[in-house]
Amino acid sequence: MAKSKQDRYEQIKRFESDLTQCMKCGFCTFWCPVYQEERLEPSVARGKNMMIRGLLAGELDYTKEYADRLNKCTLCMACTTNCPSKANIPNVIIAARADTVKARGLKFPYNIIYRWLLPRRTLFGWVVRFASWFQGIFLPRTEGTIRHLSMFLSALGKGRNIPQIAPKFLRQIVPVVNKPPEGVKTTMTVGYFTGCMTDFVLPELGKHVIDFLNRNGVEVIVPQEQGCCGAPVFLGAGDFDTGRKMADSNVRAFEGVDYVVSDCATCTSALKDYPKFLADTPEREEAYTRFAGKILDISQFLVDVLKLPASAYKPSAQAKGKKVTWHDPCHLSRHLGITSQPRQIIKSIPDVEYIEMPNADRCCGMAGTFSLYYYDLSKQIADKKVEAIKSTGADIVVSSCPGCEIQLIDSLLRNKVPVKTMHIMELLA
Amino acid sequence: MLDKKIITQLRKVVGEDAVLTSKEDLNAYSYDGTATWVHAPDVVVLPTTAEEVSQILKLADDNKIPVTPRGAGTNVSGGSIPIKGGIVLCTTRMTQILDINKTNLTATVEPGVVLQDFNLALAKQGLFYPPDPQSFLGCTIGGTVAENAGGPYCVKYGVTKQYVLGLEVVLANGYIMKLGGVTVKNRTGYELTMLFTGSEGTLGLITKITLRLLPMPPANKTMMAVFDDMAVGGQAVSSILGSGVVPAKIEFVDNFVLRRIEEMTPMGLPVEAKALLLLQADGSPAAVEAESKQIVDILKKSGAREVKVAKDAAEAAMYWKMRSAGFAATFGAAHTVLAEDVAVPRDKLADFIRKLEEISERTGFFISYLGHAGDGNLHPSIFTDIRKEEEFARAQKAMEEIFEAALSVGGVLSGEHGIGLEKQRFLKKAMDPVAIDLMKKIKRILDPNNILNPGKIWEEERV
Repeated sequence: MAKSKQDRYEQIKRFESDLTQCMKCGFCTFWCPVYQEERLEPSVARGKNMMIRGLLAGELDYTKEYADRLNKCTLCMACTTNCPSKANIPNVIIAARADTVKARGLKFPYNIIYRWLLPRRTLFGWVVRFASWFQGIFLPRTEGTIRHLSMFLSALGKGRNIPQIAPKFLRQIVPVVNKPPEGVKTTMTVGYFTGCMTDFVLPELGKHVIDFLNRNGVEVIVPQEQGCCGAPVFLGAGDFDTGRKMADSNVRAFEGVDYVVSDCATCTSALKDYPKFLADTPEREEAYTRFAGKILDISQFLVDVLKLPASAYKPSAQAKGKKVTWHDPCHLSRHLGITSQPRQIIKSIPDVEYIEMPNADRCCGMAGTFSLYYYDLSKQIADKKVEAIKSTGADIVVSSCPGCEIQLIDSLLRNKVPVKTMHIMELLA
Repeated sequence: MLDKKIITQLRKVVGEDAVLTSKEDLNAYSYDGTATWVHAPDVVVLPTTAEEVSQILKLADDNKIPVTPRGAGTNVSGGSIPIKGGIVLCTTRMTQILDINKTNLTATVEPGVVLQDFNLALAKQGLFYPPDPQSFLGCTIGGTVAENAGGPYCVKYGVTKQYVLGLEVVLANGYIMKLGGVTVKNRTGYELTMLFTGSEGTLGLITKITLRLLPMPPANKTMMAVFDDMAVGGQAVSSILGSGVVPAKIEFVDNFVLRRIEEMTPMGLPVEAKALLLLQADGSPAAVEAESKQIVDILKKSGAREVKVAKDAAEAAMYWKMRSAGFAATFGAAHTVLAEDVAVPRDKLADFIRKLEEISERTGFFISYLGHAGDGNLHPSIFTDIRKEEEFARAQKAMEEIFEAALSVGGVLSGEHGIGLEKQRFLKKAMDPVAIDLMKKIKRILDPNNILNPGKIWEEERV
């Protein structure tokens, strides 16, 4: 009996110090994008933390309402960054999601998608492709360059501007080894974690990233065995078991390289989170920690590792002469502390005017599965972002997280704001 | 448990999504910023208009259901805990800033406006609302009025009640009453506006507030002084105030808090210092220059080991950030922190600090201080653990001695937090019995069925 109780809160117990660190001051209310819309105590970190304490005290149980309050968090980390006692409540929330899944299982269709589909990259690709045939029939196609995918099936029917699936996936158009062109000396070799979005939806972005790196003397390896980073599975849904399977295969896929570069902030952050959430054995702890140490965001790699001179950044045709503003993805800014590198890159591009938007690091409200469970709330949060973008007068809003970009495209279209959404690498020639 | 019919009627008043009844949601309205008080309500209602508030109160009054008003629940008195169950009436969705009048220097707001949102809106127009409880990021203006809150700025600018010009209050029977107005002077009858300011939600529900504003002072300067002896630091505060200059803020940080802050966010603080004073002068550039010079002189003469003047806004911001991290440093230090809110006459600060040192020695409890030295409002804190019965009882006993020490030098029980649940057992010692009785009579007139925040401020007579 004692053991089963222990198991019941196994993951939460690992983050007990975060749980107890909260001293209930309530300052998180000011920073929480969800609270700012709902003005409800159960929406905010303090409320969720107290709910989890209530669960541990035996006053609450794994009910539908409990799961709902737990899911209603974008994991944007604004609470933690601004917390006077540095309590990382998102840690506790993710752990509590995992314990909930252990206790209650996953619901349809998420069980099928997370446990069965996402870990099988090729099959997943086929399903995505299959679904794309129907997309044009059921939904208007998005005019933006980015097209949605991840929870593609579930998103159907919710009225979102859903991105198009690429006619050919990245893995089908690039080789495993991509060498710098003739005459360019190879200075470094990196692995490229393509992420589902770049692979299925944005192969041209992936191709461009590889070309750019090649031109700057970097050999790029694209292992075919890599899969989904697992963010929607272990961070979003709390399915740590499936998360481990995905983590293990990604770790294996990049065994041979010293650096792994990613152009998706969520993937980058999720890959780095493997040891924190998924390491259940000393072997995994060791392997995940080593793997996490190799992971770099693309802008971080260009600025901090490759140390490219300003002259390396030339504007792409679409960016030339344009006013550009930057949206900090939560996974890049607060999760990884990367804020100066992307700005430095944009400011280095000649013929591009950079304008900082107010509250650039405020969550856009996408947060993967969050936006599927709570699309209306997600839209309300996004509308604040749209206002901020509008106030800059920029032609292009740039980010480096396809999740954010989908949200931005959808929200800008919905608000009829003629600002283009682009990935930071698309600014570069 | 409440009758299902009541819930249905509440839903009719405010709508489906503004009535919370699940166990999980009720749990979220069972606490405030204190460590000790927890009690869940039977239902939470989130109205958006005074009319809705009126209908809720009428319903509650007819059925004798307790109603506990709540803003953001950042209070530290137990005041917003629904200790008798019933309804929590939460004002966080009444968030309209109705008017900011730059020429009349007034603003009218709904009670759920968050103080920081208000400050940001005012700053855009060069306006300033001084009362600054350190929970400004979360607290609602309605809550600050109901608690008559204060903060660092109050040395020079006074507390909330000095800024409340008018209120709209819903009485227990549902009547929506208007009090005061938008003028700075108003001598019409009794000061009923003040009766509700600081009433801790026991007399009526505040649904609209008119506040007096000031122009934003164009310049300010921050100074930091380091002391080897806490009482000497306390004496320096009295000397400054006696010298004819009133700084905007004088804050006190002790060695314990200093060390904790430096551990949490290293910024090169003098960790061996026994006490640290943070001061700010504000006003016109010339006045700030002259005043800060005078303050620095007095600090040096009063025995400060080191006095620093912030070179620029960034350095000043760093010092104030440290101050605001202070309370996290204190609260994170032990399982249960009993943080007190006594205020003493400002010329008695040194005496009071000596008494506290004596209490600490005698009881064996470490006492940390952090607070608004400039208005004599220190927050002595005792670190303990509510789970250890015997120790906790001794800690509470030590706390009682702190109160008595404060009262013995002419101080009061609470400077800015209010009585709520936390301090009611000491009320009899701190207030004239006839005055307590008068409060109860006023309460009975305004709330004959005792539905509004029952069980607060004074201890209930045991029958």
